[in-house]
Amino acid sequence: MTTGLLTTAVGSYPKPDYITRARGRFQRGQIGAEELADLEKQATAHWIAVQEELGMDVLVDGEMYRGDMVAYFAENMAGFTNSGLVRSYGNRYYRKPIATGPVGRDKPVTVDWWRYAQSLTDKPVKGMLTGPYTIVDWSFNEHYPTREAFLMDMARVVHEEAMDLAKAGARYIQIDEPALSVRPEEMEMAARAFAIVTDGLDAFTITHICYGDFAAVFPHLANFPVDMLDMETTNSDYDFLELIRGHPTFDKYVAMGVVDVHSHRVESLESVKSGIRMGLDVLPPERLFIDPDCGMKTRTEEECVAKLRVIGDAVREVKAELGIE
Amino acid sequence: MITTMVGNYPKISPDAKAPNLRTAINRFDEGRISADELRRVEEEVTREVIDDQIEAGLDLVTDGHIRWDDGQTYFARGISGYTVNGLIRYFDTNTYYRHPIPEQPLRPNGSISVNDYEFAAAHSRQPVKAVLTGPYTLARLSQLGCYADLRSLAMDLADILNREAKALQDAGAPVIQLDEPSILKHKEDVDLFEEAVERALDGVTAAKALCTYFGDAAGIHHVLFGLSVDVVGLDFVMGPANYDLITDLPQQKTLGCGIVDARNTRAETAEEVAAAIRRLAGTVDAERLHLNPSCGLDYLPRPNARAKLVRLVEGAELARKETS
Repeated sequence: MTTGLLTTAVGSYPKPDYITRARGRFQRGQIGAEELADLEKQATAHWIAVQEELGMDVLVDGEMYRGDMVAYFAENMAGFTNSGLVRSYGNRYYRKPIATGPVGRDKPVTVDWWRYAQSLTDKPVKGMLTGPYTIVDWSFNEHYPTREAFLMDMARVVHEEAMDLAKAGARYIQIDEPALSVRPEEMEMAARAFAIVTDGLDAFTITHICYGDFAAVFPHLANFPVDMLDMETTNSDYDFLELIRGHPTFDKYVAMGVVDVHSHRVESLESVKSGIRMGLDVLPPERLFIDPDCGMKTRTEEECVAKLRVIGDAVREVKAELGIE
Repeated sequence: MITTMVGNYPKISPDAKAPNLRTAINRFDEGRISADELRRVEEEVTREVIDDQIEAGLDLVTDGHIRWDDGQTYFARGISGYTVNGLIRYFDTNTYYRHPIPEQPLRPNGSISVNDYEFAAAHSRQPVKAVLTGPYTLARLSQLGCYADLRSLAMDLADILNREAKALQDAGAPVIQLDEPSILKHKEDVDLFEEAVERALDGVTAAKALCTYFGDAAGIHHVLFGLSVDVVGLDFVMGPANYDLITDLPQQKTLGCGIVDARNTRAETAEEVAAAIRRLAGTVDAERLHLNPSCGLDYLPRPNARAKLVRLVEGAELARKETS
């Protein structure tokens, strides 16, 4: 009997109101770091329990303690300061990291949180990192003479963090590179940096990529130094599957997004099952993981759980129909 | 040799006493202030942004595009037939714009930017440049919607933008600039691009500028240099190859020179700016140079954007002293 179609998630879950409020109070100096961390642990335990109850296979900690995926690392690493406010779109602003010195780490950034989340469950919890290319692309640079110099230094730092996660026992390590798909001319350099991160890493490695011209970068992705590509597929009408079909030597694992994380509407069981079957047309179940398109922090908790639930239900039904364990 | 901006400028200031557009937009969205009250804040910020440019010493300013959500939405909302859809990444900037869709054939719906232009011109001691997203880029960054192909969409937009350019000219705009970053990413479309730009500028008698950024024009520079425009703008920060192309610039054209990095906080020194000017002036006469940041400054926090303009002007001063 074939096995496979494991279910997972991309990274973030919605923060409960008490976390949003506590983060605000912490920023205003009204509560201490420990009080905030206690609440973040409480919310993490909640999301681990939700994922177990839904029967998911490979869990995430939900990132209750992270704001922005790049700023979190910059704030906890050496060599960065934060800029003033810059606009992301419309009336949305954020503080962008600035590399003002050599980047480095005084101590592991994510390992304690990973240990805590893993201590709550027997299911594997993914170690979650942001990749060097994305950190570099989404930061200002006042220190390094070139993007390449910044990128290669950053890769060495992310490598150290990944090695520490593996040493702590993480079997799955995800290194997200959502910035990767926008500059095809830099893919070769980005792949070299990623190879530094995964070099000698004793874990199943994953990278999440979204929003971009997948066709332009696919030849590079097919040879990227990683075990699994986690792709936003629903929001791009499953075009990614056609690229795989057109590339017979493609041998990576794929985590396929089957629900749109930007829509409030919860997908129907039938549409999710049909997405899974489209994936199975091009990949064997043992190389196909099923998940949402992207991190889910912008959804409400109800929407998020309902979307995860329909994924679980759809996977169970497809497995039963096709005799997959 | 004059100094100018490409277009946009950061909308919010860290100064607690400055008018706060971010808060005003939030209050407007929550229904707590009226459209008139929001417009007053936009006007105050526009004046502040014009003053920043004049204090920095710019010769030719813009209104900073304070009222623009992004370079596509601002126009799409003023053109009949467009709807505006979800967020999509703007080039490789990690900023997002709303994706315009032509649901119906596009038709003009009165002027889009003339009121904003007139406000800026009335509140500036320096001449104000009018900026339009060009027909090719606006088409490229839209979905095709009801159009059969990119050409028909770009040509309809060219006609609408031509009316807009003439209305801006009638409002007194001394310079009208079309921004066309997309052509650098799709050089195979250069014939269509040329046709659309010429149509958008047809009959315009104000000074005409074409501005590109986010790369170099290698391979299409002859077409850019041959357009019926007075100023051709190139980005020498993200497109260093442009330095090698400008030997072919015709004598009667002015070169728009993006020489300070509008996408990084590190402020160039005046000496670095002067060195870039010297390099350009080795090929193009200094009086035919318009100096500006590499693209709009809205990617930076306000204090960094202001510092970029100050250094640009200081570098230009330094270069002027050497040549005089």
